[in-house]
Amino acid sequence: MPEAWGRVLQPIRIYLFTVPALLVIGAFFVYPILLSVNLSFTNFTGVGVANYIGWANYERFLSRSRYLNSVGVTIKFTFLVVVFQTLIGLVFAALLHRMPAIRNFCRAVLFTPAMMSFVIVGYVWQFIYAPYTGGLNAFLSAIGLESLARGWLGDPSTALFAIAATHVWMFVGYTTAIFLVGFANIPSDIEEAGRLDGASSWQRFRYLELPLLAPSFTVNIILSTVGTLKTFELPFIMTRGGPDRATNTLSLEIVNNLFGSYKFGFASALSIVMLLIVVAVAIVQNIYLKRREDNQ
Amino acid sequence: MKSLKIGLAGAVLTATLCGTAYADKIVLDVTAWKGNEAEPAGLPELIEKFEAENPEIDVEFSYISRLDTDVVLPPRLQGNNAPDVMMTDMPLVKIWSEAGLLADLGKDSPWYGNIEPALQPSVTAGEAVYIMPLEVIGMGNFVNLSLLKQAGVEDIPTTLDGLKDACGKLADAGIKPLVFTGSFSAPLFVIANGIERAEGQAAPYGSPDKTFAGDAAFGSVLDTVRELIDARCLDPKGQAGLDPWSTALTAFKSGDFAMMPQGAWNIADFSSVADLDFAFAPIPSGKDTGVALDLFGIGWSVSANSQHQEAARKFVSFFSEEENLQIMLDAESAYSPFVGGQSGTSDVTKPYDASRAEGGVIMYPFAVLDWPKPLEKEIWDSLTGFLLNTDRSNDEVLERWDEAVEDS
Repeated sequence: MPEAWGRVLQPIRIYLFTVPALLVIGAFFVYPILLSVNLSFTNFTGVGVANYIGWANYERFLSRSRYLNSVGVTIKFTFLVVVFQTLIGLVFAALLHRMPAIRNFCRAVLFTPAMMSFVIVGYVWQFIYAPYTGGLNAFLSAIGLESLARGWLGDPSTALFAIAATHVWMFVGYTTAIFLVGFANIPSDIEEAGRLDGASSWQRFRYLELPLLAPSFTVNIILSTVGTLKTFELPFIMTRGGPDRATNTLSLEIVNNLFGSYKFGFASALSIVMLLIVVAVAIVQNIYLKRREDNQ
Repeated sequence: MKSLKIGLAGAVLTATLCGTAYADKIVLDVTAWKGNEAEPAGLPELIEKFEAENPEIDVEFSYISRLDTDVVLPPRLQGNNAPDVMMTDMPLVKIWSEAGLLADLGKDSPWYGNIEPALQPSVTAGEAVYIMPLEVIGMGNFVNLSLLKQAGVEDIPTTLDGLKDACGKLADAGIKPLVFTGSFSAPLFVIANGIERAEGQAAPYGSPDKTFAGDAAFGSVLDTVRELIDARCLDPKGQAGLDPWSTALTAFKSGDFAMMPQGAWNIADFSSVADLDFAFAPIPSGKDTGVALDLFGIGWSVSANSQHQEAARKFVSFFSEEENLQIMLDAESAYSPFVGGQSGTSDVTKPYDASRAEGGVIMYPFAVLDWPKPLEKEIWDSLTGFLLNTDRSNDEVLERWDEAVEDS
């Protein structure tokens, strides 16, 4: 009899080992998401009773242009950050890969801003971009480019770019570090073969290193996309979503609805929308980048 | 052995006595977003005084910033673990009292009858009172007296004509006249003048009864802003780049601007700047007095589930006594919310005090719940947009305000 039971249990035993992990995931990841979904159908204010209001929060999201505008701002901001952070990180990594003497020192220097608090970085750059007393305008004036001086954070056409530049400055060290690992994983004999065949430094980078860095691209792009889609810190500190919502990301909209307006139900609806966007973007990116890796 | 026994007996006796003394004491859990080193508001001194006068009560004070109050206290209130006494403001009182989490302090409280008549209806919810107001703080126009003098401006402007005249002289002297950030200073000006032109009636705008769009009072204030631009008071596009909470304050302190609508809570900071000769005046308006835009900021509330209701109420009442409240008002440069109460203001605020005395007071509508909180941010955003493009029609700006009221 016990032997028979053993045979019956054998196929499911392996799954029993996953139960503790599933319980942890269920309690700390799935349950909060389900709770948020539930709250998104209520008018909960953070305390008291949450009254069911149907799809009203989602209807409001779709019927007010300000929220759709926030989605647009978030996507534009993410695109800017991911493109420039990846390209600049790649350039730094390629240069440092060829300069082993200063590689470690430069890697540490580039990584330093990422270890600073968002609040400090935000305030410092706010003063750099200030229209009347800011360092950037003073520098432009000093080199004779006074005509370019402006209120960088006060002009809707430049504010998002200014914050994106700060974000890139802060996290380009991460990207560089990941690419440097990618460079380190390229077998040295491939590079050596390239050299023996007379390939220039640019040709080795373009035709040998770049294709072999595909996994580093995947990691960098997915991490920076997911991280940037959720960002609210720098827009919150530097512009509070202004001027006139030009930098009002979806995360910032969620924070504003939660604290100050006490619309926990509506903020939950917005967070579900954001979750769907993040998941959709991550899946599409992952499929595309993995396929690209496989084709190398 | 004998000495060991005596020692043990002594220790047991001491522990028992201490334990009894501690058990007799009521420990009152109090939270506030003032009372820290940066913004003491006289609280450390007042709590010490309260404990000395009430030896049976031990106040356990915790500083929680205003922003953190939104995060930290709701779960404690929901979990029946709230502090006994909490610093609150009207938006918090509205949410927490509607959920039945605050104790009714009662209209029969000794201090209730003394609240300023203009404020009393705002702190009363039907037959209940959930907050004891602590202070009223001014929002007005900071003026750099040295720069005004340098430009030949004799008097601090309190009227619109006076302001335009001063702007012209300042601009001629190469001095930037006015900080007018869309996300605070401009809204103070527009709200103060709009309510003044609406004969002081703010509440109807916060309800579906009345709209901002098409309203003569608020529409005409936007026209006035255009006139200020024509009078060279401000560079509208440059204003959007100033942050009212950091770069604008630094610019004013550095003497880059002659005037700036802001809150009186900056007085202590500005006073610490050597050579900054400034005054705190009312917001220039259509009347000679200007507008003293009073902000009812903070008060004490008691948790409905507090086990120490009597001690909590004693603590709250302690702050309504004039000599005690004065310590806080002095530290905050604020006004008493009680009839005949003194202020903690100094010579710097004389122009603002004069406006208050002459009836120029308007209560900031968000702090007394006349207008819903989400509208405040919408006003900041829309006025920033307006300053960036003053060709926008008045209704285009004001319709956004109505939308915010409708959504809240």
